[in-house]
Amino acid sequence: MKEPLPFDHRPDTVLGEELRRALDPGDAASFVARVLARAAEARVASWDAVLARWARPGVAAAVLVALAAGYLVGRASAAPAPRPSVYDALMAPPAHPGEVDIVLASVIGN
Amino acid sequence: MADPQPPQRAARIAEQDEAELVVRAAAGDRAAFGVLVERYAGVARRVARAVLGNPEDADDAAQDAMLSALVKLDQYDARRPFGPWLLRIVANAATDRRRRRTVRRVEPLDAGLTAGGPRPDTTAERRALGERLRQALAELPERRRVAVVLFDVEGYSHAEIAAVLGIPEGTVRSEVFHARRRLRALLADWKEEA
Repeated sequence: MKEPLPFDHRPDTVLGEELRRALDPGDAASFVARVLARAAEARVASWDAVLARWARPGVAAAVLVALAAGYLVGRASAAPAPRPSVYDALMAPPAHPGEVDIVLASVIGN
Repeated sequence: MADPQPPQRAARIAEQDEAELVVRAAAGDRAAFGVLVERYAGVARRVARAVLGNPEDADDAAQDAMLSALVKLDQYDARRPFGPWLLRIVANAATDRRRRRTVRRVEPLDAGLTAGGPRPDTTAERRALGERLRQALAELPERRRVAVVLFDVEGYSHAEIAAVLGIPEGTVRSEVFHARRRLRALLADWKEEA
């Protein structure tokens, strides 16, 4: 083996190959499969966590919306009937038709 | 399955499609994440093993790091190379695991093995050389181990290793130099004795 040069900027291919062989973990396929399976589990768990985190505020918001809607509906049904307009009052049939006749007769008679 | 990466510069993967893969993986594309895992499984496991020694622990650390990277993908700066970013997470995961685990020392090698042996021409001899190298690597400071593995095995530059380890580039050069000196001496002894 050649004498190592101080601060050699190039990788030592001989040493690198031996180290690579020494550290070779083997069975890459099962490792990759394991990581991907764990990632899938983690993704499901994270969705559950997101849903759980939003569940309480979601229920509270739904209750508030229901209360607001109930208030508005109740208020609408309890409101007084609208007052008749002048047009409605004039055009409506008289409650006591005789009074009109008396008035007309007195006017004609005069 | 054999490691699909070439022996040298294994992690120097074309980066033009890598940013796109990362974006897709961050958006939940499992196939894209799968490609990234396949590309970096080898280097991640070797780096973790350089830190931890024990292959099972190393695989657990590499797996944790991959999953952690998946969660943190939105923090990745696509203008920078993906490999050093991921390997920093791997190195940190391995270091954390080494700190956490109970003392589980590597079995001491027998005297014949540590004293050298014949030229590693056969499978058994090569396995013995591998054992010696792992032992020698384990005796190095952790940072030195990672530095020499990333430089001589994976083909990363000093600057990239500096980014992985979070240390100055000059320190990386020094670490690689000292690690090489020790490991080259071991290899030389082995061959001379053979």
